[in-house]
Amino acid sequence: MKRKSIAIIMAAVLVMSLFVGCGKAKTENSKENSAAGTEAGKTAEEGKTSGEAKTITVWAWDDKFNVAVMKEAAEVYAESNPDANVKIDVVSLSKEDVYVKLQTALAGGGSGIPDIVLLEDYVSGKYLNTFPGDFVDLTDKFDYSQFLPFKVNAVTQNGKVYAVPFDTGATALYYRIDLIEKAGYTEEDMQNLTWDEFIEIGKDVTEKTGVQMIVEIANNKTTLIRSMMQSCGLWYYDMDGNINIKNNEALKAAFETILKMKQAGILFEAESTEGRAGALNSGTVASVVNAPWFISSLRQAEDQKGQWRAARIPRLSQVSSSINASNVGGSSWYVLEKSKVKDDAIAFMQGVWQGNTDFYDTILLNQGAMGSYIPGYATDAYKAEDEFFGGQKLNGLFTEVLPEVIPVNYGGYVAEANDAITTALSNLFEGKTDVNGALEQAEEQLANQLGR
Amino acid sequence: MKEKNMKLLRISIIHVFLVIAVVISVFPFFWMITGATNASVDITKGTMKLGKALKDNWSNLQSSANILQISWNTIKTTVIYTILSILICSMAGYGFEKYRSKGKNIVYAMFLLSMMIPFSAQMIPLFKMAAKGNMLDSHIAIILPTLAMPFLVFFFRQSFQSYPNELIEAARVDGANEFVIFFQLVFMPMKSTFAAAAIYAFMKQWNNYLWPLIVIQSNEKKTFSLLLSSLASAYYVDYGQLMLAIVFATLPIIIVFLTMQKQFVEGIVGSSK
Amino acid sequence: MKRKAGPNYNWYGWIFISTAFLLYLIFTIYPAGASLMLAFQGMDGGKYVFTGLNNFKRMLGDTIFLQSLKNTFFYLIIQVPVMLVMALSIATLLNSKVLKWKGFFRTSIFLPCVTSLVAYSILFKMMFSMDGIVNQILIHFGILDAPYQYLQNSGWARAVIIIAMLWRWTGYNVIFYLSALQNIPKETFEAAKVDGANAFYVFFKVTIPQLKPIILLTTIMSTNGTLQLFDETMNITQGGPANSTMTVSHYIYNQSFVYAPNFGYASAISYVVVFIMIILAIIQFGVAGKDN
Repeated sequence: MKRKSIAIIMAAVLVMSLFVGCGKAKTENSKENSAAGTEAGKTAEEGKTSGEAKTITVWAWDDKFNVAVMKEAAEVYAESNPDANVKIDVVSLSKEDVYVKLQTALAGGGSGIPDIVLLEDYVSGKYLNTFPGDFVDLTDKFDYSQFLPFKVNAVTQNGKVYAVPFDTGATALYYRIDLIEKAGYTEEDMQNLTWDEFIEIGKDVTEKTGVQMIVEIANNKTTLIRSMMQSCGLWYYDMDGNINIKNNEALKAAFETILKMKQAGILFEAESTEGRAGALNSGTVASVVNAPWFISSLRQAEDQKGQWRAARIPRLSQVSSSINASNVGGSSWYVLEKSKVKDDAIAFMQGVWQGNTDFYDTILLNQGAMGSYIPGYATDAYKAEDEFFGGQKLNGLFTEVLPEVIPVNYGGYVAEANDAITTALSNLFEGKTDVNGALEQAEEQLANQLGR
Repeated sequence: MKEKNMKLLRISIIHVFLVIAVVISVFPFFWMITGATNASVDITKGTMKLGKALKDNWSNLQSSANILQISWNTIKTTVIYTILSILICSMAGYGFEKYRSKGKNIVYAMFLLSMMIPFSAQMIPLFKMAAKGNMLDSHIAIILPTLAMPFLVFFFRQSFQSYPNELIEAARVDGANEFVIFFQLVFMPMKSTFAAAAIYAFMKQWNNYLWPLIVIQSNEKKTFSLLLSSLASAYYVDYGQLMLAIVFATLPIIIVFLTMQKQFVEGIVGSSK
Repeated sequence: MKRKAGPNYNWYGWIFISTAFLLYLIFTIYPAGASLMLAFQGMDGGKYVFTGLNNFKRMLGDTIFLQSLKNTFFYLIIQVPVMLVMALSIATLLNSKVLKWKGFFRTSIFLPCVTSLVAYSILFKMMFSMDGIVNQILIHFGILDAPYQYLQNSGWARAVIIIAMLWRWTGYNVIFYLSALQNIPKETFEAAKVDGANAFYVFFKVTIPQLKPIILLTTIMSTNGTLQLFDETMNITQGGPANSTMTVSHYIYNQSFVYAPNFGYASAISYVVVFIMIILAIIQFGVAGKDN
């Protein structure tokens, strides 16, 4: 009997706390609705805790990277603008979850949207197309000549710039110098390669050390493909947004190159991102092509300290426009039109993300984030030597690469294109088709997906 | 003698087979616990030994999320949901079973049919409703839409079949009110049915993911499944921290199950007649 | 006694049902209806416009949709029967009179279904990875020379999905069968034994017919679950390699949230799934009914 009554009391407490909880939510909401803060809407409790402070809600993913960077930005802003009286609430979600929530909220008419949201450059075009008018045109709010041209290009649509460019995916070839040396090559030999030269070195490495040369994820083989493609200034879509796969010489060369790697036995196909990290950490693969944020995965293997080096990525010899510089991924901050604190959000972004090179130094040092703000690259933080990479000036390498990256039109529908390419590559690897056939297949699947 | 040996052989075969099944079932839990004590780099290498990184994982986890707040949010929504949903669904199941009529059978058939509509098909209109009702970012919005669970209504209806109508009739003759009959007469003897339903509802809500994801807006209102999802998606995933979070998220259900499992099994016995 | 409720009582019945019914109308019927309307609409510049049967026509030519439908049926045909047979076998063993530590076995076998989806997907992805425990064991016993990459071969990738689902859901069904078995009156078995029937005869001629309602229930529940299969393929294989593990629900998710948002098309596909489920449920009821 006693136990029963305890259970009933527990239940009652819980039910009551539910109603207290939702009562609070309601007052918060009504406060937002009347942003001016009418006297009637102000309860004693509110007056005590939050005063007149407005809340800017930000949605982002990755606690150690984007979320941490935005929290840092909030602190910087609070210090430099003590009168602004805004509270910046960075909500950490998974990347997929940010998209699901944003899409539901926008499709549902715009309630429950954040004030600022992080979107990948690859997908932002999709949102700008699907929800025209829901994102703030920031063209006149920032001096975009101070930001990397290819990043600005990625967030521009119909001549209007819609975002504050954030991190870049400047690609580098990360490789194990000890294994390369064992195969009879030097650091010198790894500079400004073509992919064909890379494959030749790879063959020797695999033969002499038994370690495969390069890693890519099997069910999503597009990191290599994308970096090869953009090194030529080409993409799945042309500058007008039309599909460009079947007759894309960069894509064709990329397919041929990756098939050559597979046939030479130097390509390690990891089954997942965990598998890729595991293979690199346990030393079963000698190199990887990826963006700066990938370095944190490499650093986990403390026993490999000093054995890693970074170099510019190889270029495609078959394509004349191909250079030893490219980009994969990267994302930018968007302000929502229906935000109730739109102007405060813009002021916050201007206050921190433009002009403040100390901030860019901090996020580079603490989070390893490579911003897109060009004046930021001149600071000492970019001259630092990295012990994990044998004292190499790693950030200096990226600042060299970044301005060279050729702008392309990501077209917004990269997920669809990646899926089509992955399927085609899988068929190519299984010998079901040749390179031209695979490309045609991919173009057809993509056109079908996009309803074109 | 021979027969005795045969019997012994049979007993050992049954035990060996079941022990294998248990090992397969339990192994991943063991792996989860060892994972929580290892550094991420060792987990991706596939280690199976207990590690020394438990303390680091704990401090990392604490720095990325307010575990106490998240536990409280999850427990609160789950317990309230469980209590309300078994109350509502048991009453409906009772109504369908003990007061049969043509109209009710049609409604019942509709209930069963709607089990088959995937949640993703209802999501956007539901979201619009939550927004209009000013319920975004509140726990009540997590709880309310799925309270009337067709499966539980079905389960209770099946279970109430075994409750003798004679007892209800007798109580009526004694002049008892219909609600009194339900709450006093039926509720207590069917305890195990309610326990089974409670476990089902508890599990469902504890692991509920897609809907809370959509309606919850702030860090303060998050539940465990949202935390797991955000931890698992980073440029560099810290598996040690993730494993520890998974342990925290899994333990309460195991405890609930262990304490209620006897009733649970008996409860299903009632419904399977 | 035959009439369960007099005319007065009918009212009470509705009152008992009312809360659930009201919630159900608001939170299920209305949204489901609204999304059914969406199935006949398409997106045009951020607004939905009526497009008639376009979404349904598009499905017929959509190779990924057709592939995902094929995959889903593959899972259904392999996984559901294997799981139910395994569950029934384990339940029979657990019900054995000679079994010791019943509670321990029962609890352990049921445990997998309490794990959260994120946990269980990561787990299986890692167990079947290059350095995973499965490769380690097979190499240790000399069955394999070098680690095999299961998730890159379409056949094996599907097998891993099925194994994962078997792990998570078999124990759940065991509980249903076990309780149904305990419900069969002991006299039934004893009568059969007196007649000199052997164990297999008893199992197929006495046990199975008694379990028929619960077998039907678990079949419908599992069919329903498999047709809505999503988290496993999403988290373990991302639908790959080459869409060979993609399920219909996964494709609906992609159409809604990964690709250009097309809720109209996604909703049209959802209703095709609902339709298939209803047909399957009718068939299953029909098969079960015929035997009687």
